[in-house]
Amino acid sequence: MTTQNAAGAAKPDLSARQIRRMKRFDNPWRNPKLTWGAALILGIVAMGILGRIFWNMDLVFTGSAPLKLPPLGFENLRGQPGQTDFPLGTDGAGRDLLALIVIGAPNSLFVGLLASIIGMSIGIFLGFSAGFLGGRTDDTIRILSDVMITIPPLLILVVFQAAFGDVSLTLMAILIAAFMWQSPTRLIRAQVLSMRESGYVQMARLSGASTMHIMFREMMPNLVPYLFGSFIANVTTSIVTAVGLEVLGLGPQRIPTLGRIIYEAINSGALIQNLWWWWGLPTILLAVMFIGLLLINLGLDEVSNPRLRKL
Amino acid sequence: MTLTRRTLLASTMLLTAMGPAFAQDVAREDTVIFDLDRTIKDPENFNWFTAGTKREHGAHQAMWEPLFILNYTTGELDPWLATAITPNDDFSEWTMTLREGVEWSDGEAFNADDVVFTVNMVKGNEELSAREAAVVRTQVASVEKIDDLTVKFTLSEPNPRFPTENFGVRIFGSFLPMPEHVWSEVDNPATFAFYPPIGTGPYTYASGATNRMIWDRNDDWWGAKTGFRDLPEPQRLIWLETGGEESRAQLMATNQLDAAQNVSIGTFEAIRFQNPNVIGWFADYPYAWPDPCARQLEINTTVAPWDSAEMRQAVAAIINRNQIVNVAAEGATTASRTMFTEYGAMQPYIDAVIEAGHGVPAQPDVEAAKALIEGQGYTMGSDGFYEKDGEELSVDIHVNSASTEYTRTIDVIVEQLTRAGIKAKAVPVENGVFWGEVLPFGSYEMSYSWLACGSVNEPWTSMSRYTTASVVPVGERSPGFNNTARWDGPEAEAYTAIVDRMGDMAGDDPALPGMVAEAYGHLAEGVPFIPLVQSAKLLPMNTTYWTGWPTAENAYNHPAFWWGHTHQIIHNLEKAE
Repeated sequence: MTTQNAAGAAKPDLSARQIRRMKRFDNPWRNPKLTWGAALILGIVAMGILGRIFWNMDLVFTGSAPLKLPPLGFENLRGQPGQTDFPLGTDGAGRDLLALIVIGAPNSLFVGLLASIIGMSIGIFLGFSAGFLGGRTDDTIRILSDVMITIPPLLILVVFQAAFGDVSLTLMAILIAAFMWQSPTRLIRAQVLSMRESGYVQMARLSGASTMHIMFREMMPNLVPYLFGSFIANVTTSIVTAVGLEVLGLGPQRIPTLGRIIYEAINSGALIQNLWWWWGLPTILLAVMFIGLLLINLGLDEVSNPRLRKL
Repeated sequence: MTLTRRTLLASTMLLTAMGPAFAQDVAREDTVIFDLDRTIKDPENFNWFTAGTKREHGAHQAMWEPLFILNYTTGELDPWLATAITPNDDFSEWTMTLREGVEWSDGEAFNADDVVFTVNMVKGNEELSAREAAVVRTQVASVEKIDDLTVKFTLSEPNPRFPTENFGVRIFGSFLPMPEHVWSEVDNPATFAFYPPIGTGPYTYASGATNRMIWDRNDDWWGAKTGFRDLPEPQRLIWLETGGEESRAQLMATNQLDAAQNVSIGTFEAIRFQNPNVIGWFADYPYAWPDPCARQLEINTTVAPWDSAEMRQAVAAIINRNQIVNVAAEGATTASRTMFTEYGAMQPYIDAVIEAGHGVPAQPDVEAAKALIEGQGYTMGSDGFYEKDGEELSVDIHVNSASTEYTRTIDVIVEQLTRAGIKAKAVPVENGVFWGEVLPFGSYEMSYSWLACGSVNEPWTSMSRYTTASVVPVGERSPGFNNTARWDGPEAEAYTAIVDRMGDMAGDDPALPGMVAEAYGHLAEGVPFIPLVQSAKLLPMNTTYWTGWPTAENAYNHPAFWWGHTHQIIHNLEKAE
């Protein structure tokens, strides 16, 4: 059985739904996983922006609210009900959970993005240099990244952060970035090596284009979906590392981050006091963040690799 | 899920700790498990004269015994290894009588030789730096054996408080005589590890690791043979590092711990919710025992801009104690009015200070503080912080990260200072670093401490800790943690002169309150530290296996089971029916 489409051309056995999906893949960027993932991440960003406009941000400071109030509609162990002034409850130091999350969640995302951008930039530069220039440069960069990749980052970072004491978000991102460039370097080097011999690169070389031009104007655009995928994976790793440090109490002190909220909850006996909102809400947000990033990553994989697209 | 995992983790931890216990068949109901709030860095070193965790893991609660024990309820010294100590007319010579029949756990007799030897050893070695050793070194001019059970101390200055200050476990520990037959063989007592250790107590060392210390009962204990006390009921004592409020609460709720370190009131209520056998000092709110070490903000008076008394006064005026009470202590304590602990016996002195107008104000006065800061040439910058010559007015406050009480109090203070225009920042440091490096060497600007601690029934001890005699340069160790603020200058000298005169007077001298008030006037001007709040320790005790814990109703002594008086607690414990 065959069906006629509008143009009158014969198509193999396809339902209307499958055709719709086919069409959608005409533009590989309109991928449902990508869309959902981006929506979740943008949701967190939007929460950060809207929260700052509509909510009182002074409530993130110690002692600005009553202690240990539950979210609206719940009661804590002492039988106090939630209050509308603090709809998501308060923590053991008198901070409003909503305000903490509004500031903390984008902060955690920010650290991940910044660390990843710095790490990727270093990785792209080193990867292209190693792959394209070859020789001594390649040897040096390859050995350096191979050595660095064997060092467990959390171990080093714990020592660093403990020595620095109170760090800012940016400093923390930079420290994490120092451990985020090795895998992009290796991956990009491999891609560049295979691409170096392709026709258009040879062509550019023959026409006398400079090394920089070939590397970043000719080759890089072809790697964009691939770089994006690697970037998002790096953001996830950076956030995991950052939260790991924060949960150990090693992040910034007075700036709320999701990891620090969890650290303080655990440290103050929130589990046994059944203050679930204190550690539960940041955990949920972290989960949302990771699912969002994972979906984006899967989506980008399908964009860069058409074979993964299912009808 | 997290909850189950933590419980599992905690039980595994305990099982590991109890491994040998099962091996030697001491049942849980014959064992008392105490909480230890720190890691034992060197579990095979029992040289308590040097820094480190070498006493509070059971050594001075179970193995070594003090000469006397200060009874916090009666204010008297309960005799222990010694039976009496009497002064001469001007308090410059003290004669101590030792108990007959006391033996070290290796069978050697304990007598005057041990006491004389230990005092002389401490006098001859400055490296024996423990506070108790340092105090004996400065106070005792010479020591002499009269006979096997009598020792005479000749002091460098008359001191009516000599026994309480040195031999009575007034705060945390006391001077512990060591066995002469072991220590006299040692070349350098400062590096001697004293392992395996021996003592006169009813328990001997069984095993130790960085997270626990196990002590087994010595059924041949001298006290039972001489009729001094019955053998204590517990066959085994364990001090176990629990690591934080959450895990100590879980262990307490599941009967895997018998006495826990301080918890917040919310956690205590939650433990009781799960385990009604858990009790505190008071049967009802606020449950907590008033600890004699009131909290304070220590200020290093040598570091600019805090070397100016006006700047220190400004900080004092900014601090809102009631907020600290409400947020950090959840309402379970009260604001300090002076440097002193609010015990009944201290009331005349507290009243004298307040009548003279030198007490800390009940309410903050941020406007006055701002005037003081601006008087020092600071102007408010556009970002809400004061600045002078392009430099922001900032302060780092060091805080021991071992307890949420400490860190949260400093969080509150950081918040208050920040709002007043001082860019404050908390610097949490690990317990060992805090006491070993930060405080004694003055490497801080401000820090959270309780170093005015000491007086419980007379004013001199606390006040004497801030005299100019203890001032050393930053980078050198403050003797016995005294005057780590390094407060010096005319105000401090005037203060010291009065406190020195007080030192020679008997504790009940009617002139004392007036002198306290006068000296306190200088202290309030100089502000080497800012009194914050009274300390309340909420120590959960578990009656599932053991009863007879100290409480307000059964106040044979106080419940701080990391202090050397814990012998009394252990002797009072009875198996629960």
